[in-house]
Formats: sequence, structure tokens, C-alpha cells
Amino acid sequence: MTPSEIMQNSAPSCAPEVPLLQGHLHPAVLLLRTLDALRSAALPLVLGVLVNRYLLVLAALLFLLPLSVALIRYLTFQYTLTRTELRTREGLFNRQERRIPIDRVQDLGFEATILRRLLGITVASVETASGRGAEAVLDSLGRAEAETLRELLLQARQELQNKQGLQVEVLAAPSHEPPAATTAALPEWTIYQANPVDLMMRGFTDLRFGTVLIAAFAALQVADQLGMLVKLRFAASSFFEWLRGFPLFVVALLLCALVASALATSVISSTVSSLLVFHGFVLSLRGDTLLSRYGFFTRRQKTLPRSRVQRVTIEQTWLRRLLGLAVVAADSAATGRAVGQEKADGFCVVVPMAPLAVVHQLLPALSVGCAGIPTRYRRASHRLVFRMTLKGTIVALLLCGAGIPFLGPLAALAFLLVPLAFVMGKLSFGNLGFRLLEQHLWLRLGVIGRYQAVLPTAKVQAVALEQGPLQQILSLADLTVFVAGGSPTRLPDLTLEMAALLQRELVARGALAAACDWPSEKPLPRTAGEA
Amino acid sequence: MEVNSAGSPPFGPELENAVLSERLERRVVIYWYVTDLMRAAVAVAFLLSASHYFGEQYPKLPAITWQAMQAFAFGIVLLALITPPLAFSRWRFVVDEQLMRMRYGILFVEERLVPVPRMQHLDLVRGPIERMFGLATLVVFTAGNEGSSFRVPGLSVPRAEELRDRILRLRGANIL
Repeated sequence: MTPSEIMQNSAPSCAPEVPLLQGHLHPAVLLLRTLDALRSAALPLVLGVLVNRYLLVLAALLFLLPLSVALIRYLTFQYTLTRTELRTREGLFNRQERRIPIDRVQDLGFEATILRRLLGITVASVETASGRGAEAVLDSLGRAEAETLRELLLQARQELQNKQGLQVEVLAAPSHEPPAATTAALPEWTIYQANPVDLMMRGFTDLRFGTVLIAAFAALQVADQLGMLVKLRFAASSFFEWLRGFPLFVVALLLCALVASALATSVISSTVSSLLVFHGFVLSLRGDTLLSRYGFFTRRQKTLPRSRVQRVTIEQTWLRRLLGLAVVAADSAATGRAVGQEKADGFCVVVPMAPLAVVHQLLPALSVGCAGIPTRYRRASHRLVFRMTLKGTIVALLLCGAGIPFLGPLAALAFLLVPLAFVMGKLSFGNLGFRLLEQHLWLRLGVIGRYQAVLPTAKVQAVALEQGPLQQILSLADLTVFVAGGSPTRLPDLTLEMAALLQRELVARGALAAACDWPSEKPLPRTAGEA
Repeated sequence: MEVNSAGSPPFGPELENAVLSERLERRVVIYWYVTDLMRAAVAVAFLLSASHYFGEQYPKLPAITWQAMQAFAFGIVLLALITPPLAFSRWRFVVDEQLMRMRYGILFVEERLVPVPRMQHLDLVRGPIERMFGLATLVVFTAGNEGSSFRVPGLSVPRAEELRDRILRLRGANIL
């Protein structure tokens, strides 16, 4: 197909420039901005009254400047949705117009904090594949207006997709779904609903004991900075004197109680936050778009086209793995996220917490053509355990050598690393696995936790193969798969032949998919990887 | 489709060097020497002055601490002297119809495959010292944010431009 034909095809039957929706920001946002400005001006205001009058000038500046900026933004901001693009325009002196083609919109997010909900407004953020987060933030729209915007945008995108779907079919790509007959008001299917028990479990199993420890350490540092530690030390010594009066087991009991209470605090806080953030989580599918809605105070909505999902991860930290529970997250090209990482707003989460069996049933709904769930993974190489142990030994030797001048014979303790490295190797070998299916690459990794990643092979951007010095000796290799969403997924310690085969196959599939995405005059032949 | 582990591996230095035919410009070794030694000089100056200063400040600590620091500084210089020719001899790449393949690394060997249709944009980067040597670095970007750029250093400017234009033509851009 020549470019001119494409131009003809994409020339829409109805004029694209007729705005479907046009509007300004909601006036209630000014109230919010006033509150913000007041908050930032509060401290200089108080200080100005109490200490020095001149600080009042600062307070006035801090109050008026952001407010005037907000006012100008409110007065000048305008957005327009047409059949093909979303346009935003703002600025007084520095006028800025931004046009986002609708077929480039990755996901749409809506976020309404409690205050915004009281005012009946919501923040809409439009994300493209730029990877820099939201491309356009409409802060804020009326709730009804936001709903209309979403509906119209989804509809326009569906129309565009149908058109493109036809084009791609002309280019003979059989994997595409046939275009839906209707574009208006597609039915919405609820595919998952979080129940409070699961959310409670999510909180219980979210062991943030580490954060408690870090917080305690930070508090200690601050206390030290303020010179309070001397006083504290005095208090501590008198406290220990007092403790010495008790028998040993009472002291141990007290210590246990202390640890337990710290644990309990962290568990309770994470449970409460889980219940609040993901309250009433509903995941539904409309046409080809995933919609999630959740939140108790701050209500969030996220839409993500299923065909744009770059990676689905099934994450089980060790405790969750013991209990057979899992979290599912989906990465689009708009997010950068490592496996196992979670952002506070939970926008990448598709299933906050569910038993693994339920998750497996849900997967086909999350990623197109994800029907074949591997029952057995292919194992990586056994030599992985050997490599880990060897590495542990080398590190131990180095540490021991470095430690001898300082610690003497105690430095031999470093050799405890060797059995540790062996166990780590064993554990990670047990988890490590992969499976290349029709349309997806399945990876499984982890040490005590277990993480599975499902990558649509059509989304592969590049594949790297890496060999460290030990791996060269043992002919092992690490495989790193780059997709546009999330951080690169890494599969360590495959045998060299296996890794090289996988690499070629994946790259060939990626290139083929890309050639279908970008219609060029001569379709690229598929040669590599088939060898 | 299942990957079969049977069959001869299409990987291995003997086999691949025939495919990965292109190498960097020879003068990149000198360029690397210059930059590495400059970097090493800064590190060594820092380490030696630090060991001298702290050696006077804390005479109680065993002397091996400072000796270790000096040895480390020596190691850095040695590395800067050894790595450039090795890195040059290992660097290989090729751009064919479908793929850009590159393989490099001394201890940690890396082989990267980037499908040409997946490339988003191409940059030519020339730093001040690179310009003195008439060298350029080609940077290829794919979609995504982390690790989405792939660099080919040490190309002569006409060659880098030729490579860029070739990729653009393969990519289907009819502007050239």
C-alpha cells in the first residue's frame, strides 16, 4: 500500500475538525488554588505577625503569585476534542498549544481527592507513550464533563482503531480482531471486583517493617542533629538501670512486645491504606479498553487499552506466595516501573490482591491472546547455582582479605557468605523459568518471592544478551527484553544457546510486528530467527 | 511456538565475527586513551590526596588502608592503559535489512539486537574531544524510557552519517 492510499483511507467521511467537545476548567478549581496559596502563605503570615512585619510582604507575594498564575491558567485554558485529536491551549504571554492525536493516547486517568469530590470535580490526565508521565493534565473538570470527555475519547479511539484495523487487515495481519460492528456505547463487562477480605489480606501481607526501621533510624539521626541524643543517652542509661532490676525473661518479653508493636503498627497502617486506596476496586472491560475504578477518599479511574499493554506482571512477595495470593499490574508505555515496584496511586495495578487461581483465570481478559497459560515452565541452567556459589566464594575471599588487617581471624566470618550464596542460587533456580508461547513470552523469577511477567512478543523493542566473566566460562547468558513500558525485564542465567535462540526469535517477532505497525512500501521479509 | 534447544547454537565468537563485520575506527583507541586517562588522572589525584590527608589525620589506623587506596589508584591507571585496545578489538556491529546487531564488552560481553522497524529516532553526538578526533557517536532510540538508547561510538563522521541515512532509508523514510 502506498502512502497516498493510506492518506485516502484515513481521510474521514465526516470532517475531523468539528469539535466533539470543547470546554474550560471548572471554576471550583480556583477555590482549591486559593486554599493552596493560603497554605503556602500561612507560615510567613504567622511569622510576619509575630516576628517581623516585612515577612508579611513575603506572605502576600506567596499568596498572590500562585493565585494569579492559577487565575490566568483558568482564564486561558481551553481544551477541544475532535474526532482525531485532543487539543489543549493555555497561557497569556507564553501561549502553548498541545495537540495529542487520539490514537496516540495510551491511558486516561481520573483522580479526585476528597476535597475535589466535595466540589464535584476531578483531575483528568492524558498519557501518551512519551514515558514522561501525563502529557496533558486537565485540572480540574466537572465530574459530568469528565465522564463525557472519557466517553467521547474512547468512542473516537474505537472508531479510529476500527479504521486502522481494516487497514492492517489489508496488510494481511491476521492477529488483529475484527472491527466491532457498533462504536456507540459498547457494553461494559465487569471482570474483577475486589472484596474487602482480599484488600485486608493485601494490607496484612504488606510487610513494611523495613520502612519502620528506616523511619526509626531517620528519627535517631534527627535527634542526633538536634543534640538530643546526649539527653536521650542519659535517659537510656537510667532506663537500663531500671531494667536491670527485672529478671531476664521479663526484659526479653518487653523487647518482643516492642518489636511486635512496631510490626503491628506497620501492618495496621498498610492495611488501612490498602483498604482506603483500593476501596471498591472494580476492573471492567469495554470493547478493548480496561477500566479500573477505586478509592475511598481519593477516587481514581483509569482506562488502559488492552492492545497497548506492554507487560503484565503477577507479583508475589514471599508472604503472599506462602498464602497463594498475588498482585497483578499492567504496564503501558506511559509508565516506567520495575517488576515488584508499586506507585502510591496504584495506577498500574489491575488486580490489587487475589488468589493465584483467580489471577490465572483473569489473564486472558488482561492481555489479548493470553489464553495459553503455561503449566510448566522451562528451566534455566543448573549451572546458575554453581555460578552464584562461585561468586559468593570470590566475594567472601575478597572481603576476608580486606578484613584481616582490621578484624584478624574474625574476618573468616565472611565465608558464611558461601552457603548463603548457594542457598540463594538454589532458590532462584527453583523460581527461574520461561516459556515462549504463540503471542507471549512468560517469565518467572524471584528468590523467596515469585514474580511472573507476561510480555506480548509483538511489543518487543530490543533484546540484549549479556555475559559476565563467570558466565563466559560456564557458557551462561542473561537475557534482557526491552518493551516500551516499565523497566527492562531480565532473565538471568540461561544456557548460551537457549538465550541466543530466544533472543533471535523475540527480535524477529518484534520486527515483524513493527513492520505491520508501520506500513512501508516493501514489507520486510522475515528471515532472522527462523534459522 | 516453542523454542527448541536442539541444533547448533547460532552464537559464539567464531561464527558471529563473520556476521558482525563492521568495526569502529582505529583512532577511537587514542580517543579512549585520552578520555580514560583524563578520568583516571582526576580519580588518582583525588585518591592520593585523600590518602595523604587522612593518613596524617588518623595515624592510628593501620597503614594498609592507605596502601590499599594507593594500590587502587594504581589499578585505575593500569585499567585505563589496558582497556582501550581491548574494547576496540571487541567492538563489532552490523546493520542489515532488519536488525542492528552490536556486540561489545571486555569482561561483561553484551550483545544487543535492535529491529530497524522499532527504531524511533537517531542522534549523532559529538563531544568536544570526539570532535578533535573527527569521531561521532550514533545513538539509536527505541520506544520506552529505560535503557531505550543504544550507542555506537567511535565512527568517523561520514561513516556515521552514512549509517544514519542507511537506517533511515531502511526505516522507510523517503526523504533521502
